[in-house]
Amino acid sequence: MFSRQVTVLVGHFGSGKTEIALNGALDLAADGVPVTLADLDVVKPYFRSRSARHILAEAGVRLIAPEGENVYADLPIIVPQVRDILRRPRGKVIVDVGGDGSGARVLGSLTDVLPTTNIEFLVVLNFSRPSTPDTAGAIAMVHEIEAVARVRVTGLISNTHMMNETTPETILEGAHLAIETGAALDLPVVAAAIHEDMAASVNGDLPCPAFILKRIVKPPFEVQPQRKTVGPLFVLN
Amino acid sequence: MAKKLMKGAEAMGEAAVQAGCHLFFGYPITPQNEIPEYLSSRLPQVGGTFVQAESEVASINMLYGAAGAGERVMTSSSSPGISLMAEGISYCAGAKLPVVIINIMRAGPGLGGILPSQADYFQATKGLAHGDFRVLVLAPWSIQEAADLVQDAFDLADYYCNPVMVVGDGLIGQMMEPVEFYEDRKPIKELPPKTWASTGWKRDRPKAIINSLFLDPAELEQHNIELKAKYDLMERDEVRFATYGSVDSADVVIIAYGTVARVCLSAIEALEEDGIKVAMVRPITLWPYPYEAVREVASKAKDILVVELSTGQMIEDVRLALHRPRPIHFHCRLGGMLVSPEEVIDKVKAIKAGTSKEVHYA
Repeated sequence: MFSRQVTVLVGHFGSGKTEIALNGALDLAADGVPVTLADLDVVKPYFRSRSARHILAEAGVRLIAPEGENVYADLPIIVPQVRDILRRPRGKVIVDVGGDGSGARVLGSLTDVLPTTNIEFLVVLNFSRPSTPDTAGAIAMVHEIEAVARVRVTGLISNTHMMNETTPETILEGAHLAIETGAALDLPVVAAAIHEDMAASVNGDLPCPAFILKRIVKPPFEVQPQRKTVGPLFVLN
Repeated sequence: MAKKLMKGAEAMGEAAVQAGCHLFFGYPITPQNEIPEYLSSRLPQVGGTFVQAESEVASINMLYGAAGAGERVMTSSSSPGISLMAEGISYCAGAKLPVVIINIMRAGPGLGGILPSQADYFQATKGLAHGDFRVLVLAPWSIQEAADLVQDAFDLADYYCNPVMVVGDGLIGQMMEPVEFYEDRKPIKELPPKTWASTGWKRDRPKAIINSLFLDPAELEQHNIELKAKYDLMERDEVRFATYGSVDSADVVIIAYGTVARVCLSAIEALEEDGIKVAMVRPITLWPYPYEAVREVASKAKDILVVELSTGQMIEDVRLALHRPRPIHFHCRLGGMLVSPEEVIDKVKAIKAGTSKEVHYA
């Protein structure tokens, strides 16, 4: 994961692309890597990468996203800086794309500037979500995204979880379903995302590398009281 | 059925399908678009029909027609869209039609913004539209409860032959939580066959005419009296609420509903650790309002705090609930900003210290 200069995260609606993009950007920044996060989400109106702009700014991550009051707009805005960073990537670049085919369609409009080398297109999969209950659903999703985005997916990220009700079994079953999906599509599972609290209980049994997550995308009642709220919808605990 | 991780909008859409709703008419508006989005692909799988109408006015009148034919039917919208539906909802109430309406509230007034709000409390509970009518209003605080209440809403609508509204702030539409649907779910009411429905007259019964026009004043008076009797029954039988914390001896009792109540519960847990006793009454039905529960818990608490994502619309009902005039402390965030647990903790501590400024005297 994040092995290429540019990492494009695609996947079904609510699969966890934003959480993985934010964690990836913050991890890389913590390691001293210059990193840019491009928010191309034109699908969901809440819980987008741009809502975490204060957290990202504090960590030194460059965010490319609508600014001013357009941070909150439910409009399909792709700021021009997106084309610029894809044409001439500097440091690491993570692209957080909106969900499903409808979100991935945006990539189709950027094919003229997408790099041809040193780029990975990763599909995030959560088998607890209704749109991808099984490998057939996941395979269909990969095909749909490839068709509308006009790109070849290069790998899968297993992100099966049930929020606060996630068990080690949830993660392991999801990882095995991702491996099955990968086998059918001839794609590697580059990582399984695991919340830091669960890492110790599943790490050894995983059929793929682990990507340890902190939960950043949170509703306000999950915020620990001693922490300050950062913006209306995002908090880093 | 195994639990799924669902957005609130998806869960409410699936809940409608599970409740036997095969018809959805609606018009898009943020932050509830994922309800029609979900149902547009889900309803054809169960032989149902999804129609994106040309407007909210058209949507609610499609509901009127379909409900009149005896079908379970739903629409969903957000604040300004519900305003546009208001006339049609009054017609549904006047024609005694069971329809389910979801309002995922956004911040207003006017076009406002797309972030969470509870500013449609008055609209839902008191001033929805013209005429002497009520809608039963359910307010979930979690995605599971949203799924459960949408299913209950269909039973309640059918039982009372009246519109039922499910209201949630934007978070109820957009956040994800694990949800379970129960295969052996039974209706919460004993539901008689819909002999009143307009399903085609075969000379075997009186003609079933769906109508809210009564030119004869005596007949219209009688109609209003019958509607009132129905609303009295709802007030007697359908009040729902939940209580939390030190209900028998609270320093402060919080009254809050929806996701705001969950923020307050996070605060209550932290306050209890500090030795401050806090109770909470969470109305689940906003109409009929749980006056007695609020009165009971408030009578044993030193102070009362209302927390809302509006400028204090629910304070009116809390005031009505109290035995005697008392100060009501208030905390809110507006415009799509959210209340944090920390803010509630600070407010409760300020009340205890006598420095809480926002006080509304009953």
